[in-house]
Amino acid sequence: MAEITLRNLTKRWGDVVGVDDQSLHIRDREFLVLLGPSGCGKTTTMRMIAGLEEPTAGEIWIGDRMVNHDLPKDRDVAMVFQNYGLYPHMSIFENIAYPLRVRQVPADQIRPRVEDAARKVELTDLLDRRPRALSGGQRQRVALARAIVRTPKVFLMDEPLSNLDAKLRVTMRAELKHLSRELATTTVYVTHDQIEAMTLADRVAVMRDGIIQQLGTPDEIYNDPANLFVAGFIGSPAMNLVAGSIHGGEFVADGGTRLTQVAVNDRDAVILGVRADDIRISEPGEGRIDVPIYAFENTGDSTLLTAQWDSQRIIARGDRHLRKDQNDVVSITLNPEHLYFFDPRSGSRLRG
Amino acid sequence: MSAGRKSRIGSLVRIVLILFAAFVMLVPIAWIFLAAFKTHVDVYQLKLFFTPTLGNFGTVFEAPFFLGVKLLNSTVVALVTVLLAIPVATMAAYSFSRFRLRGETAMLVAILATQFVPAVVIVLPFFVMFRDLGFLDTRVGLVLVNLAIVMPFAIWMIKGFIDGIPMDTEEAAMVDGSSRLQVIRNIVLPMAAPGILTAGIFCFIIAWNEFLFALILTNKHAVTLPIGLALFKAEEGDLWNLLSAAGIIIMVPMFILALVIRKYFVQGMTMGAVR
Repeated sequence: MAEITLRNLTKRWGDVVGVDDQSLHIRDREFLVLLGPSGCGKTTTMRMIAGLEEPTAGEIWIGDRMVNHDLPKDRDVAMVFQNYGLYPHMSIFENIAYPLRVRQVPADQIRPRVEDAARKVELTDLLDRRPRALSGGQRQRVALARAIVRTPKVFLMDEPLSNLDAKLRVTMRAELKHLSRELATTTVYVTHDQIEAMTLADRVAVMRDGIIQQLGTPDEIYNDPANLFVAGFIGSPAMNLVAGSIHGGEFVADGGTRLTQVAVNDRDAVILGVRADDIRISEPGEGRIDVPIYAFENTGDSTLLTAQWDSQRIIARGDRHLRKDQNDVVSITLNPEHLYFFDPRSGSRLRG
Repeated sequence: MSAGRKSRIGSLVRIVLILFAAFVMLVPIAWIFLAAFKTHVDVYQLKLFFTPTLGNFGTVFEAPFFLGVKLLNSTVVALVTVLLAIPVATMAAYSFSRFRLRGETAMLVAILATQFVPAVVIVLPFFVMFRDLGFLDTRVGLVLVNLAIVMPFAIWMIKGFIDGIPMDTEEAAMVDGSSRLQVIRNIVLPMAAPGILTAGIFCFIIAWNEFLFALILTNKHAVTLPIGLALFKAEEGDLWNLLSAAGIIIMVPMFILALVIRKYFVQGMTMGAVR
């Protein structure tokens, strides 16, 4: 049972602001992902929860206790580090047993608990080795086992998959997801990888420049972005952002192309956001506007088609059997139900 | 073919040069080694074949030389120096490595700067000061002097090792439930052990070989082995056979230490050299 509450949390180093007056409530048993580009304050936020950084201002509550002045060891959290933070002079068994030993768990309980944790991450055969003899994926499992061996109130994970190669990352991601559902413990997970955020999270907090831009389920973050930054950050390929204006119920891209009909009041300057999946590709003349192809990419499971007119480019996802060539002309139609409008100056979302 | 021959000639030249250098360096040691087992008369005849005697090793410990006392002095001074210097230097090195201290760089440079002062410049002030404090000709005095000599060295060397321990590892231990002292004991010390051991042995060697201060600051009770060598003079000239026996007694512990630490030493030097 542990919820985490951050109240007006701030971290400054001289003039540099790491985290800027942020409040966040993380529910019991929730898997919350802090997502953002490097330097956005996500790791700093996590390190303050762990007690490895001291907040400049604000409060951190774990459960019903304010932990601002508690040492890391007294906060009952477990953390998985990006570089694993294993103890190279100890065997894998001793690595996993360390949190129990240092907390003076009775000796006869240590072996069964370490073996239980090792079984959960499939390390049973490697307990006698040293960390040096293990592969990256195995080391990551040791770090996980060391975190789960003592059932802490909170798990903190700082980019745990980022040092693994792409293929292993996908496998470990699924294992992490499985494990997190099994353990059902409050978890804070830091990443810059939106796929990890989307797949693992109950809720995602997207951060930039020390400020949480949006807090919501992966679904909300993807389908209902709160502002231009979130819209542009989430999704691969990134959401198309087209500058233009709205006149007479029609969105006119800069340069004069009448792109689509919209149900938004007239405005002089607006940015239209549309995902690649929400653009229909058809033969010339059959859709809304005809455009030449700037680049055609086949990714195997789908195709990505970049269209260009005037100075604007827009990327659309096509069927995996679609075959086109550069400079071919296609017709594109934007799905009017999934368009997003943003104020170009403030970046905030315009609704209705 | 020619390339092969060229490299063979090259390696031949190299081997000859190495042998020559080794010869130059080893001859005095070999001479000492031989002389230590010769009688006084034999020393002055450059005989390679002679009847070896262990008598010299007995004589040096007897009156009037009493090398045993000097051996004890050297051992006590060097050991106590190391046993005091290493724990204190480790604490200092950890603090320099892990905490942001006010004036950190200045302090580190100041510590190093004490090494820039030539010993001959400060040996007389030391003499005067020790005379007033009553430390002249005492082991305590020598330990203090040796501490001043080895501490900067030990701090810098151990700091290099602790810098090499990833911060993640220490932070993991803290989150796992360790206090700062437990982190140092369970994580930092074992991981830095090769470096600390190397630094310790280095300090021991420095203290063991220290000559200038011991020469000026002692005269009877606290005389150490290197100074003790000067005793082997008599009316019939230098007693080379006894000098050599004493020289062997000084060198042998160093040889053994060098053998023991060779592995750690290489590791230590390379680890320090990377950063």
